[in-house]
Amino acid sequence: MSTVSWITARGLFGRRRFLMLLPLPAVLVLLAVLCRSLGVDPGQWAPPVLVGLGLAVVLPVVALIVGTGVLGAEIDDGTVVHILTKPLPRWQIVLPKLAVAAGVSAVTVAVPLYVAGVLADSVRLGLGLVVASALGALAYSALFLALSLVTRRPVLLGLVYVLIWEGLLGNFVSGTRVLSIQQWVIALADRIAPTDLLSTTVSVPVAVVLTALVSVGFTVLAIDRLRSFSIAGETS
Amino acid sequence: MPEPTGVIHDIGYQRYTGPRLGRRHVFGALYLHGLRTVFGLGRSAKAKIFPWLVVGIVTVVAAGLTAVRSQIGEVVMTYAQFADAMSWLVIFFVAVAAPELVSRDLRSGVLPLYFSRPLPRDDYALAKLLSLASALWLLLGGPQLVMFLGAAFTTPDGLRGTWNELLDLLPGLLYAGLWAVVFAAIGLLVASLTGKRAFAAGGIVAVFLMTTPIVGVLSILPSRAVNELALLASPSTLVQGVGSWALQDLLYPGAGTGPPIGDFGPVYAVVTALLVAACTALLLLRYRKVAAR
Repeated sequence: MSTVSWITARGLFGRRRFLMLLPLPAVLVLLAVLCRSLGVDPGQWAPPVLVGLGLAVVLPVVALIVGTGVLGAEIDDGTVVHILTKPLPRWQIVLPKLAVAAGVSAVTVAVPLYVAGVLADSVRLGLGLVVASALGALAYSALFLALSLVTRRPVLLGLVYVLIWEGLLGNFVSGTRVLSIQQWVIALADRIAPTDLLSTTVSVPVAVVLTALVSVGFTVLAIDRLRSFSIAGETS
Repeated sequence: MPEPTGVIHDIGYQRYTGPRLGRRHVFGALYLHGLRTVFGLGRSAKAKIFPWLVVGIVTVVAAGLTAVRSQIGEVVMTYAQFADAMSWLVIFFVAVAAPELVSRDLRSGVLPLYFSRPLPRDDYALAKLLSLASALWLLLGGPQLVMFLGAAFTTPDGLRGTWNELLDLLPGLLYAGLWAVVFAAIGLLVASLTGKRAFAAGGIVAVFLMTTPIVGVLSILPSRAVNELALLASPSTLVQGVGSWALQDLLYPGAGTGPPIGDFGPVYAVVTALLVAACTALLLLRYRKVAAR
């Protein structure tokens, strides 16, 4: 484990505020257990819990807070200078940070989704959700990490993507779904564990290719942006 | 004991001899400044991007609805349904505005400067809350006014049609006010907990979005009472519940089109009042603590 990833992990967990991440997965598990114990038909409760809460809210929001936090927080504080002035190639800064961000988001999201998936249908659905949400966490983290280098307001721009692109337009304009990480995750999970609980209009090959493309593309963009990064004061 | 050697020199600054404005004026200035901050007025172009993006979207939607109505003559959305449909944008707007209002002051540590004026701690928090609520009301009310003007000028019934349209608009504006108060109270409380704008924005969105699927789950549980009380779980559906109880026919014309709240309307109203009161009280409490530092 490189020093950069160690510093990043300490930056995330060293403060009390990472506890703010816990209520989201906890609510997910609580709702799944509640529905299961009351004997509600999984066909009814699984879509709102797994997709509506898990894949549409918990995954993007956790990935947004963590993904913009690993580098964005250091840029905000100005402490990123300490890392940038070390004789490290830029990819050795971006990749460990991306790994920590994706790993933390994946664990935070995949564990409750696994529990909910098992309660809803089967271990297979749980595992499918774990794999799909981990890939989704990687794609989201790469996107938000790159955003925090492209703009000074990464969280708000990320929220525009999550709320307006995926949330609002994804509901009304079906064409935008092809470019929505959330739909790729659903497609992947549905491919690994075919059930009638998850449904999407995006085909699996498209989802696989685009997930890989987004993950790699935005990582390359982040490395490139960090090469010519200039430190500026707080925006007004 | 040596004589004190320090001297305060009069270096010729002009003294202020004019009238000293009191608490009310400080409050008013803070309120106006807050309202301008929310929309990025008097600040750089970067600060205007996100607020005006939201304003632009809601206005375009309202204009589109008006155009459809004047062409086809069919009401696509009532004024209340418009507020409901824009809920995601309102959440985003709160996530943009609330951290700008309170988190920046917390982060840059300027609160002692504010509280060294004749400004009680509670006034600071209340002025910020009021400016956020007004901004949200303007955000929802402005497009409704656009829809009203469009309808008023294209109505075939002349003055009478305009009057009927106005009677539809007023409850819509009242309903927008309810949205504004509830969302401002919750959003500002969350934002006041952290000095980092990024975390404040994420926290606000998490609170609002996390609660919506809870409603979806509660409303399919095998109990009628739980189903009808399910809308309490999320701020946006809570507001819808109150709206449909208080302004039933005005907001949701036609029976059975409103949210399914059964006979629990008064419960919704009480819970909303309690929620706003609790959030405001916690906000004031928070500023007692911050100011004590």
